Parts: sequence; structure tokens; C-alpha cells
Amino acid sequence: VLAVWIWEEPWARITAMGTTVLIVDDHPSFRASARRMLEAHGYVVVGEAADGSSAIAAVGELQPEVVLLDIRLPDLDGFRVAERLAVNGASPAIVLTSSRDRSDFGYEIDASPAHGFIPKSELSAEAITLLIR
Amino acid sequence: MTNPRRTLIGLAAVAIGVGTLLVVINGEHNIHRGAYAALALGTGWGFIGTGLYAASRRPRSNVGLLMIAVGFAGLLKALAFSNDSVIFTIGSLGELLIYALLVHLLLSFPSGRLDSRLDRVLVAIAYFNSTVVQLAAFLLNDPQQGCVQCPANPLLIDHADTAAGVLSAVQLDIAIAVLGAVVASLYRRWRDSSDSQRRSFAPVLAVGGLTFVLLMASLIVEQAGLSSGIDDGLTLALFGTLACLPFAFLTGLLRFRFSQVEAVSSLVARLGGGVGRGSLRDALAEALGDPEVELAYWVPNLDAYVDSAGRPIQLDPAPKGKIATVIEHEGRRVGAIVHDAELAEERDLVQAVGATAALTLENERLDAELRAHVDELRASRARIITAGYAERQRLERDLHDGAQQRLMALGINLRLARDLVTSDTQEAAALLDASLRELTQATRELRELARGIHPAVLTDRGLDAALNGLAGRSPVPVELVQTLDERLPSSVESAVYFVVAEALTNVARYAKAQTVRVTVVRSNGQVDVQVSDDGVGGADPAQGSGLRGLSDRVAALDGRLDLTSPDGDGTTVRASIPCG
Repeated sequence: VLAVWIWEEPWARITAMGTTVLIVDDHPSFRASARRMLEAHGYVVVGEAADGSSAIAAVGELQPEVVLLDIRLPDLDGFRVAERLAVNGASPAIVLTSSRDRSDFGYEIDASPAHGFIPKSELSAEAITLLIR
Repeated sequence: MTNPRRTLIGLAAVAIGVGTLLVVINGEHNIHRGAYAALALGTGWGFIGTGLYAASRRPRSNVGLLMIAVGFAGLLKALAFSNDSVIFTIGSLGELLIYALLVHLLLSFPSGRLDSRLDRVLVAIAYFNSTVVQLAAFLLNDPQQGCVQCPANPLLIDHADTAAGVLSAVQLDIAIAVLGAVVASLYRRWRDSSDSQRRSFAPVLAVGGLTFVLLMASLIVEQAGLSSGIDDGLTLALFGTLACLPFAFLTGLLRFRFSQVEAVSSLVARLGGGVGRGSLRDALAEALGDPEVELAYWVPNLDAYVDSAGRPIQLDPAPKGKIATVIEHEGRRVGAIVHDAELAEERDLVQAVGATAALTLENERLDAELRAHVDELRASRARIITAGYAERQRLERDLHDGAQQRLMALGINLRLARDLVTSDTQEAAALLDASLRELTQATRELRELARGIHPAVLTDRGLDAALNGLAGRSPVPVELVQTLDERLPSSVESAVYFVVAEALTNVARYAKAQTVRVTVVRSNGQVDVQVSDDGVGGADPAQGSGLRGLSDRVAALDGRLDLTSPDGDGTTVRASIPCG
């Protein structure tokens, strides 16, 4: 177990280093915490968006490599945003997140073009790195 | 018409009648003096007498007045038998007036009003033809030229034979055409009448119609210039029907009275047999001869009328063309009969029918009141359930958007702090500080939310403490004029609390008020809550689901909630909740 930990931890730091991220969430306190967490692990947070449409605009403008995307947003929900981004041909790695459980969304997470889903209660830089690897 | 007036008219009729009698008997240019005298008096006095009776029975109707006018016009016509040239001319000039008045009378019987536009046009033409055209003819011609012993026409300006001939021919044509149209209109009236209406119309329409047909025939004979024998015979027959006409009107009026009595007694019989729901309306429709009759039941609680299904009806003002006659039972208003405005003349009948039906109406009223309450209950129950679901949705959203988000952020911060606690203690401490702030916020939000669901202070310490708490948190200064120290059933306490809470929230949001006064009083087995502000007023009770929900909540406890909010003069929310 120790060997795995020693091996995995520096790897995660190295791969995350310099990766650009857009954080999409309508709660400022969550965005602030997520930014702090990601930056502590070497990610570069290039922008934040509080709703679906400004998220789509920000992706076009900032070309982030990763989008951390809350599912519940005031206008379009995260699934619709992920679909639009996929159709637009922009290809950031999309990480869906929510304060709800995976089971609250049924099959929608699997059907989405997003890379995957991490509940907010388990959200960490490592989890994101593992998912987008 | 007042009594002395009627006496005066009667005296005038006697005097003029006697004068007329003398004029006719002494008339030297007349062959059937005796018969004419009798007919003129019979017609004149008959119409005046019957007219006086009709006017006393139905003072609001024109029918009586018109009949009196016809009577005097009949006497006027007889003056044409006079030997004196002025009296003779007055009589001759006015001899057609009786027919114009008859056209008016028959077309407006029995309501006294001319309902159709065509009828009004016909009456106008008849008056014009018998006055203006008649006068013009007298100015240009001596209509009695053929009559050797007739006195001279003092109005004659100039003998213009051609013009006079054309004028007379036109006058005749117009008269024939008008009479034809009148007979057709009377026929249509007969065809469209109900059986009971026909009973009172029949004598009038039959004799009146015959009179007009005879008159038309005699005019046609005159126009065609046929033998004077036929003309004389027709004229006598015409006078005969004219003399019968007042009695036809009398019969019609009596039958009408009789049919009222009949209507009430048949209604009594029908009600005695028991009526099902809705058939009271049918029974009244038949008794009043108004198929469109509607019943409105008075519901004191709602301070409004409702129909038999319990739906509210507006009676002030009554629907167009309708009149509402209020029906009372043992001094209490039980409802109203909404009937055709034409029945205004028969207010006695409507009152009699209403009094007969009052008890049944009272029973149906209770029925309708119950139905209205059931409908309202059903609607408010549905609203309460819907409001319950909406409330749960709101709670879920508030939890998700508030405390839950903060706890998530807190979790991320703590995980990061744990990672950094050995390598970067300063950053870890900053993260822990941020986490504590999030925790404080989350706790505060949870407390607010819990208080919104049900305030613990209300359960633990009662209304006074809970209302003081509300007042303390209100951004607009609150004066608690009076509250209750005693404990009430918890449903009543929460209703009072939430009425005040919602009212204060609204004051803070919309009223632009300086102060709010809150009063809670318990008296006469109920709790009265009043929240008044000195703000801008103009609040719309229909707007905002908050008040509606409160109203339902209060109504569920058999209470009621009122909002008074005149523009620019503050808003007052009042609730009364029964409390044993």
C-alpha cells in the first residue's frame, strides 16, 4: 500500500502540473475552495463561470484542457453544457460534479459525453487527475 | 296616476261625452245620427273607463294612458258631425288621430313599450300621416266637398285640386301600407306568444286586428272609389269593432290578473308536491312566463349571491335587460329572482311568486351554500397540498443551495488542509480559518431554515416570545401593541405566527413603511390578528402565493383573512381564527 502511495502521489503532481482548468459552478464559496485545491496541486485555473451559457463562452475563449462542471446550474444544466461543448468540437476533458450522488442522476451520467463524475463530497485534485488521465 | 287625477279625467270624459252627444244628435249632415252617437259614446267612454282601470292596476305602464287618449280621440272624431264650421273642422282634422293612437296602443300591448324598431317606425308614420299630412290636406282642399250640408273649411288657403288629390292619394296609400304592416306585426306577436300569454292577448289581438282589417278595407274601397253603400257598411262595422275594443282590452287585463292568481296557485300546488333541485327554477319560470328566469341564493358568509351550483353571481348591477327581485323569508334575505326587465310591471306577481317559493328557496339556498362551501373547501385543500409540495421543493433547494454547498466547500478545504498541514502550516491555518467561516455560515443558514419550517421558540415559549423574536428580526421597526401570554392550540399559534411573519416579510419587501403595528387579541372565542403598516399601500391580494397560502391555512381552521390596502394609505392584514 505504501509503495503504491509513494508511486502514485508524485505522478499525480507531475501530470497535473500546468494543466489549465475552467471551474463552472453557481456557488462562489465552492468555486473559491475548488480553485484553492486545484492550484495547490499544480493546476492552472484559467477562469470561472457561474452558469451554463457563460461556461460555453469561456471554453471558446480560454480553451481550457479541463472543465470542472457542476451539474445543477441556473440556466442550462451540466449535461446540456457537456453536450453543447461536444457538438461545438471543443474538446476539453469534462469532469461533472454535484453535491448529489451519482444515483440521483440515473443513466444520464453514463450517457453524457463528459469524462466522468465526481461527487463534491469526494472531490480532490487527485480524483480529477485520475479521471482525466 | 293619482286618484284626484283619475276623477278629473272621468269628469272631463263625462262632460265632453255629453257635448259630443249633443253635437252628433244635432248634426244635420249625417244619416246615421243615433247609431253614431251611441258608437261614439260607447267607444270614447269605453276606452276612457277601461284606460282608467288599467292605469290604476299598472301605474307604470303606458297602456292605461294610451287607452284614455284613444277614448278622447274617439270623442274628438265625433265632433266632425257638428254644424259649426270651427268645431266641424277640429273634428275632421282630428278624425284620424284615433287610428294612430290605436296602432300605438295595440303594438305596445301589454307592456306599454314599443319593443321593435319596426313597431316604432310604424307608430311614427301613423302619427305623421294623421296629423301633419292631414293638416296639409286641409290647407289645400275641402275634404268634405261632396257633402252638401257640411260647413265650410276655415283652414282652406287655396283650392289646389291636383296637389290636394295627390296628397290625399299618398295619405291613403301610406295608411293602407301602415295598417297592413301593423296587422302583420300583430300576427307575428300572436305566433310567438306562449299559451298563457295568448290567453290575455287573444281578445285584444282578435278585435284589434279585425278593426284594422276593416279600416284597411274601407280605405281600399275609398281609394278604388267603389259604391258608397259598401263604404257605409264597412264604416258601421268598423265603428262596431271600435266600440267592442275597450271591452276586449278589459277582458285581456282581467284574464291577465286571473292568470297571475292562477300562476301563484299552480306554483303552490307544484311546490306542495315537492320539487327536486333546479326544478324550483322551472316552476318559477312557468309561473312568471319568463323561460330565462334564474335563481340566486344568498350566502351570508360570503356576503354574495351564488347560483344553484354554488358559483358566485354578480347581481349589482343585474345583468343587462334583467332585474333582480330580492326574496325574504321570515325577515331574512334568502335569495333573488333574476327575471326579465319587462316583468318590472308585474312586481306584485314576482313578489307573490317569490313569497310562495320562499321556503323552498330557503332550503335550496342552504343546499347551494353548502355546495359553495364544499367547492371552496375542495379548492383550498388542493391548494394546501400543492403548497405543501412547493414548500418541500423550496426546502430541498434551500438546503442544496445553502448549507450543503457550504459543507461541500468545507470538505474540500479540510482535505486540502490535511494535505498541507506538515508542508505548509501557514496555508493550512488559512484554510482552517476559511473552513470555520463556512461552518458558521452553514450553521446560520440551517437555523434560518429550521425556523422557517417551524420556530422552536413558538413551541417552547409561545406566541408572545415568538412574535417578539419576529419583531426583533424585522428590518422595519415593529410595535407589538398587544400579544397573547396564554398558550393556544398549536395549530392556532402557528397560523397566527405565520400570518404575522408573512405580513412582516411583505412590509419589508414592498411597503416602504416607517413602522408596523402588530396586535393579537383573543375575544368572543376567536383570535384576531392585525398587522398594519404606514407604507405605500396598493397591495394586490390576488398577487403573491404567500398570502393565498396563508388564507388557505387560516380557512382550514375556519377562520378568515382580509387584506385592506388603499393606494398611498398603508396596508392592513387581518385574520380571525376561531379558538374555543
